[in-house]
Amino acid sequence: MQLIDGSKIITEACVRAGADVYVGYPITPSNWFYAYAQKRFPLFLAAPDEISTLQWMSGFSAAGRMPVTATSFPGLALMVESLNMAYMMELPMLIVVTQRLGPSTGSATTGAQGDLLLLRGAISGGYPVPVFCPSGFEDCWNLAYEGIKTAIRYRTPVILLTSKEMVMTHRSFDLSGLPEIEKVERPKAEPGRPYQPYRAGEDGVPPFVPLGDDVRQVRLNASTHGNLGLIQKESPEAMANTRRLQEKLEQNIPAFTFYGLDEETGAEELIISYGISADAARDAVAALRSQGKKVSLLIVKTLLPFPPAILDILERYEKQVFVEENLPGLLRELVYGQARRKNTRSVNKIGSMITPSEIINQTGGEAFPTG
Amino acid sequence: MPFCPGCGHGIAIKNLSKALEGAGYDPLDVIVVSDIGCAGLVDPVLATHTIHGLHGRAPALALGISLGLSNPGKKVLAIQGDGGATIGLQHLLEAARRNVDMTLIVLNNLLYGMTGGQMSGLSTLEFKAGRHIEDDAPPFDIVRLTHEAGAAYSSRVTAPGDFKTHFAEALATPGFALVEVACLCPSHGVGKMKELVSVASGDLGLARRREPARVAFKETAPLFEKGRQTEAPFHSGIKERLGIVIAGSAGGGVQSTARLIANAGILSGLHATMKGEYPITVGTGFSLAEVILSTKEIHYTGLEVPDAVVAVTTDGLAKARSRIKPGTSVVLDSKLEESASCPNAIYGDFQKEAGKQGAALFAAVFWLVKEGMLEADALLEVARKHKHAKSLVEVIERGVGVG
Repeated sequence: MQLIDGSKIITEACVRAGADVYVGYPITPSNWFYAYAQKRFPLFLAAPDEISTLQWMSGFSAAGRMPVTATSFPGLALMVESLNMAYMMELPMLIVVTQRLGPSTGSATTGAQGDLLLLRGAISGGYPVPVFCPSGFEDCWNLAYEGIKTAIRYRTPVILLTSKEMVMTHRSFDLSGLPEIEKVERPKAEPGRPYQPYRAGEDGVPPFVPLGDDVRQVRLNASTHGNLGLIQKESPEAMANTRRLQEKLEQNIPAFTFYGLDEETGAEELIISYGISADAARDAVAALRSQGKKVSLLIVKTLLPFPPAILDILERYEKQVFVEENLPGLLRELVYGQARRKNTRSVNKIGSMITPSEIINQTGGEAFPTG
Repeated sequence: MPFCPGCGHGIAIKNLSKALEGAGYDPLDVIVVSDIGCAGLVDPVLATHTIHGLHGRAPALALGISLGLSNPGKKVLAIQGDGGATIGLQHLLEAARRNVDMTLIVLNNLLYGMTGGQMSGLSTLEFKAGRHIEDDAPPFDIVRLTHEAGAAYSSRVTAPGDFKTHFAEALATPGFALVEVACLCPSHGVGKMKELVSVASGDLGLARRREPARVAFKETAPLFEKGRQTEAPFHSGIKERLGIVIAGSAGGGVQSTARLIANAGILSGLHATMKGEYPITVGTGFSLAEVILSTKEIHYTGLEVPDAVVAVTTDGLAKARSRIKPGTSVVLDSKLEESASCPNAIYGDFQKEAGKQGAALFAAVFWLVKEGMLEADALLEVARKHKHAKSLVEVIERGVGVG
C-alpha cells in the first residue's frame, strides 16, 4: 500500500499505454497532470491556451504521435471547435477533463459532475465522443489505458471524465494488483496498396498513414469530405463518410463498454452512479444491506456513447436512484430525457461531495453520519 | 485554380509551386496545412500532403505537425488569409517565438472574401478610405510582429514578379518563415495591380539568425513502481475509523503533517486518505487538511463528523470551526484559548514548543499518540525518510514527550 493520487496513476498509465506527447495549459484542478506529465512524458509542451493545445495535439496525432492533455470546463469550452476538427479528421488523442464547480469559472478547487451533457452535445450533429469515467484508482489505471487504446483503435478523440476529488485526493492503494499495461502501437496501413485516407474497412475505421509518408499521399480534412480527404459537399460519398463517424463508434460499443455491477438477489431497487459519487454509493449500499434492504448498485464507466448493455441492466429494475454531483441530474437526463418515470429518484448536490447518508435517505434506509 | 477569375491567390499559389519545385522538393516532401476562407481552397490543386483544418488555426496545427514528424527533411507549409491571420494571431506569434520550422504564407487580399468582402485586421487605412469605411484603426503589421516575436524570416511582397524570390528565401530558411502576399480580389476588393500597389502595406523583409526549435522524445523513469509492497510493522489503536482535521496557516506544515500521518497509518496496517484545502495564494491564509485512517477500505473520502480537529493558528481555527461537531475532540494552541471559546478543548503550547512550522505536527502527534491511535515509532519511521527528516523527527520526539 502506498499513498498516491489519481492524477499520478492516470499519467503513468497513459505513458505506459504509448502516449508520447503531453500538451497542456495549466488549470485547476488538473494541474497535477501537468506537473506529472513534465516528468514522465517523452515530450512535454506548454501551450499558450487551450485552442493551441488541441491544435498542436492534432498536428502531433496527424504525424503519428499519441497526444494527451488535461483540462477542466473553461479549457474544455475553448477546445470544443478543435475537438470537432480532430473528430472529423479522425485523429486519436486523450483529453482528461477534471470537473469543477461551474457555471463559468465557478470554483476552481471545488469538485463537480457537471460536464456530461456538454460532452454529449460537443460534436455538431450529435455524434458521440467516447467518454470514460473512473470511479476509483483501479479505474484510473485501466480506463486511461482503455482510453488510449480506444482512441488509437477507432481513430477518435477520447475523453477521460474525472473530477477534483478523484484526481487530487490521496489514498492508500495497493499498486501491485494493477494489471500490466502493454504499449498500444498505432497501426499503419499496409504499404503497396492504393491508399485513400478515408476509405474504411468493415470495422468502419480507415487505416492510418501519417502525414509526410514518402510514398502515399495523405489528405486530412475537417470539412465534409470524400474518401480522398478532399472537400465534397453533399455528395453521396461525403454523406456516407460523415454517417460513418456515427456508425464506427456505435457498431464497436461492446469493445469499450465498461461498468461495475453489484447485484443483490431479489433486489428491486438499483442505485446508479458514476465517478466520485460512486464512492458514496458504495458505502450507502453496504449500509442499506446491513439494515436488511435489498438493493443493487450500478457504476457507469462508459458514459458515451451510452452502451446498450447498460440499458439492459436498467430495464431490469423498476425502482431507480440516480446519484450525481450536479443539480439537474445529467446522467438521468442522458438516459431518460425529460420523460416522467415512475419510481425514479435522484440524489443531487453541488458544492461538496454527495454523502452516503444523503443516498440512504433517498433510498428509504436509516441515515447515519459518516465519521 | 479553384478561385474567382483574376484572384491573386491563384497567382501566388502558382509561384509557390514553382518555388517548391525550384527548391527540389518532391510533392510528398511537402505537407500543406490550409486554413478556412478563400486561401483554404488550395488542397485539390496540390499533389502534396494536405490537411485542411479550422479558421485561423493553420499555424498552430502546422506547429504540432512540424514538431511531431519523425522523418526530417519534410517541409511544413501553412497557408491562410488575412482573416485567418487575425483570428489566430496568437498562433503566428507563438510559432515565431519558438521559431518552429515551417513556412507560413498569408494571402492578404485586405478583406474577408468568402463572406462578402468585410474589412479585416489587415485592411489598410488607404484601402478603407477608398471605400469610405469609417474605421481609423491601422492594420496589424504581421511582418514586424512575427519578427519581434522571434521569427527567422518575415517578409511582405506585392508585385507578382517578386513572389518567387520571397518564397524561395522563406523555404530555404530553417525555422519560422512568414511571407505576407498582397493579393487582388476582383470580386470584393482590389481588381487591378496598380491600385493594389497604392493601397497595400509596403514591401518589407526582416530576418534574424536563429536556430529552429528542436524537440526530443526522451526516455523517462516511471512515476512509481507498481510492484512495491509495503509492510505494516506498527500497531494502531484505531477501532474502526478515525477522521482528523488539521488546520493552521500557510507555511505551517499542515499538508506535510497530514501526509505523514496518513503514511504512518499505512505502516500501521490501516487504509488512509488525505486531502488538502488552501487558498490559491501561496504563503498566506489558512491551510487545512483532512486525514481518514480506517481498518476497512475507504470509499467515500469526505468527513461529515471529524473525530478530532487540531488547530494551531487563528486562520486555521476560523476555517475549521464549522467542522467541530458534538463528540469531536478539539486540540488547540494555547494562544487561541481566549478567542476560541471552546471550554472542552485540549490546549497546548504547540507554537511555543515547536515554532510556527512545527506546531501543527507537534499538536497532531501529541494527540494521536496520547490517545493511542498511532505509535510514535510509526510516525518517526515516516519522518526519517522525509527530506526534512532531522527537524521532523525532533518535533515528533518532543510532541510525544509532552504526552
